[in-house]
Amino acid sequence: MNKKHKQGVPYIMHLSILCALLLMLIPWPDAIIKYQPHWVALLVAYWSFNTASNRVMLVAFCYGLLLDILMGSLLGKHGMSLVALSFLVTKSAKQLRMTSMGQLMAMVIVLLFNDIIIRAIIDWLSFGYKPAVVDMLPLITAALTWPWIKYLLDRIQVSYRNSS
Amino acid sequence: MESLTSNQKVTKSPLFKFLILEFICLSLMIADKNHQLAQPVRNTLSLAAIPLIKIIEWPQDMYQIIQVALSRQAQLIEENTQLKEQLIDTQLKVQQNVSLAAENERLRNMLNATTVSPLTTSVAFVSNINQHQKKQHIIIDQGTAQGIHVGQAVLNLEGVIGQVDVLGQHFSHVILITDTAHALPVEILRTGMRTIAYGNGESISLNEVPTSADIQIGDVVVTSGFGNRFPRGLKVAEIESITVSPDRTFQTSVAKPYAHFERLTEVFMVWPFNTNTPNE
Repeated sequence: MNKKHKQGVPYIMHLSILCALLLMLIPWPDAIIKYQPHWVALLVAYWSFNTASNRVMLVAFCYGLLLDILMGSLLGKHGMSLVALSFLVTKSAKQLRMTSMGQLMAMVIVLLFNDIIIRAIIDWLSFGYKPAVVDMLPLITAALTWPWIKYLLDRIQVSYRNSS
Repeated sequence: MESLTSNQKVTKSPLFKFLILEFICLSLMIADKNHQLAQPVRNTLSLAAIPLIKIIEWPQDMYQIIQVALSRQAQLIEENTQLKEQLIDTQLKVQQNVSLAAENERLRNMLNATTVSPLTTSVAFVSNINQHQKKQHIIIDQGTAQGIHVGQAVLNLEGVIGQVDVLGQHFSHVILITDTAHALPVEILRTGMRTIAYGNGESISLNEVPTSADIQIGDVVVTSGFGNRFPRGLKVAEIESITVSPDRTFQTSVAKPYAHFERLTEVFMVWPFNTNTPNE
């Protein structure tokens, strides 16, 4: 039972991260784009928390590079921030499991903030980008969507386990 | 390192993996930034990105197909007459231009000046894909496989769009002239004064015009051809406002680009002249 469950998880993981990539690529209106959370980072945080294995780090690295290609940014920018995010979440996953939903959310927001900071620093070093307050807006929507993503993906995994 | 127990190898620890991956990222970034060394990596990875782009484009293509299928005949006839009128207009202008061009050529021959060769262009289509980052980019459907190179000028019928910034195998990213990291050598058409136009997010600004220079609202800004990236004399923008800088040494003017960046569908790639470029 447990083994079967373990085999199914990677599929769900890759599928969900691919969906997140597509969500990032869809051309939304300008008003929404400002508030759009970094979907891939959210998903990477969830899967690092959920599986608590450092295999997710490699996955985060690969999807980060793919994101860099799609966004035309410096190769490795998203990779670096996502790997760091995954590492930090994986390290503290065991402690985070014990905490309440609110504390977990606060922790995720802090780590996503860290993710934004890393990307801002890389942008600043590579082409002199000056960070703006607007860059922090995605954190609000990330906070709002995190419980839903967590609930949805937990449910999907449970139903998958029950069906197989 | 507290998770590292005696029977675990160093290579299995998460910290080690983390450091290795970050190191790879760092070296990729340095390679990408400095010497285009990461271009092969980019080319291979861009093949994996194409299905994703296609998935995003698919509903948009479907919408267009359905729109054409459902549009009424009357609409099409109306559009047809409109296009015909436009064609007649432009043909008239071309007729006038033929005599002007001939005259220009004669004068240039008399002065022994180099003749300006016509532009070689090819068409590329713009993919409507969200660019979730700080640079103003658009994606076009041509890449290294079609011979596109970094720094290639991109135009459309209205004016200059930008230049190729990042390459992939079958798509590439074009940086717009309004991006804050972009600078474009230009000249004022009326006076022939040369300067540099910087992007400021929404329009372009000419920051280095001396206070004594003659510049007016409504002046047309064209490319000056310096730097050999953009051919000379392409329409860029129109001066919208002029202010004097706080220390009264320069006048800063803001110009509105002719091209409408929010509704681009196809663009022209400019190919460099195969022989000697007119160097001033």
